[in-house]
Amino acid sequence: MSQSSLRNRPPFSPMDGGEVAEMMGSRFGMPPEAFEGVSFFLRGRNVWAFSLPQVPDLDFEAVGLRFLSVRGRVPKPTTYALQLFGRFATKNAVDLSDGEARRFIAGKRQGLVADLEDGYVVVSHRGDVLGCGLYSRGELISQLPKERRIEGKEIESSPEGCGR
Amino acid sequence: MDGLARYGDDIPEFDRFMEAIYRPLPATARINTLKTDRDRLLCRLEVAGVACRPFTWYPFGIRLQTEKPGNLVENLMGHIHLQEEISMVSAVVLDPRPGERVLDLCAAPGSKTTQIAMMMENRGLVVANDPANGRVASLRSNCERAGAINVAVTRYDGRRFPAQKFDRVLVDGPCTGQGMARKDPKVLDRWSLKRSLGLQRLQVALLKRGVEVAKAGGTVVYSTCTFAPEENEGVVSRVLDQVRGLSLQEVSVPNLDGSPGLSIWGGSLFGDEMKRCARYYPHKNDTGGFFVAKLVKE
Repeated sequence: MSQSSLRNRPPFSPMDGGEVAEMMGSRFGMPPEAFEGVSFFLRGRNVWAFSLPQVPDLDFEAVGLRFLSVRGRVPKPTTYALQLFGRFATKNAVDLSDGEARRFIAGKRQGLVADLEDGYVVVSHRGDVLGCGLYSRGELISQLPKERRIEGKEIESSPEGCGR
Repeated sequence: MDGLARYGDDIPEFDRFMEAIYRPLPATARINTLKTDRDRLLCRLEVAGVACRPFTWYPFGIRLQTEKPGNLVENLMGHIHLQEEISMVSAVVLDPRPGERVLDLCAAPGSKTTQIAMMMENRGLVVANDPANGRVASLRSNCERAGAINVAVTRYDGRRFPAQKFDRVLVDGPCTGQGMARKDPKVLDRWSLKRSLGLQRLQVALLKRGVEVAKAGGTVVYSTCTFAPEENEGVVSRVLDQVRGLSLQEVSVPNLDGSPGLSIWGGSLFGDEMKRCARYYPHKNDTGGFFVAKLVKE
């Protein structure tokens, strides 16, 4: 791609950060403080999270982290956004057992009884966020990007923990 | 000739060097503190039964004893980034601080970029530049997995990077990669003096641009993963000759066994100050090979 075609791309437009924080608050119960110092920009149908309130004057391929896709009926958080901010979630978040986590990271769908509303959810394992899942009618569908999935992986936890 | 015999008089304990250069590298990774902390990660690996040992010289580097480190869940979550041990030196020498503006001029695939982003605690700005389309994809993917929100990716020809002012600039230039032989022995067959000299012109132009876009008092780090003096001291000494107001600083990383840069090579006299640069050899720390120079702009 030539430099001139870069210039023809849609620009990164600044967004009202409070609006994005509110969206994450209403779906996941994340406090607004979780997004302190983070600015949001819209380009095309994606919301990007960035460390500075203004995009410097350069032709950028990407600015910060792709945070939400606003393509569908409801905004879909990216797996990377949830891996970074998901620990602040107080609802629509679920911690999986070893076996459930193994299916999730392989990109599978599975039946799951959990206190979740239908829609996108924060999925973790042993307290660490794996990524984004879609919960629908008692089923959890992995939203991990295809290139990140790991098939046939055994996940073992020693019940004693590590003693640290 | 594999291009290494010519270093016989300059690399200390050359027999041990030649033995080490054909041994496979240990699996190593960097703990990504943007997403986890060191104790938590070490605990996770212990519970999962993955043996690991922290580096002696860098608390966020670990050696892993596992068949496929790329298949670790901790890698999927971005809690670790698989990175060769010695390549973690560049960012340590650059020493970026939270809130600064930093340029990584030759950034792909982004191991050093994401290390810089992490050292800056996701604040300030890291401009990660790389001209190659294919390599930018891996750079973006690694920044995403790292959870770096302070990285912006550009695709300029580094020699003509637009006028800006940065607190720190890393020029981790394209090179003949002899120091990567433990990962891929074929790099040694591809080496020729002609290639080193061809790359030298590019490296000089990149480093000069890197210096130009650093602000007064700014730090510029030049690194390569090759042993060829033409691409190391030869580049730094040319830039020092051509650009005024630069000082070459001593590179010394505690608990990492470095050797001084070469003051003389073949018919070229680089000057005694080149000893302030650091060379890292595979047999000294059981790593790949590396070269680092640190310049400060007046």
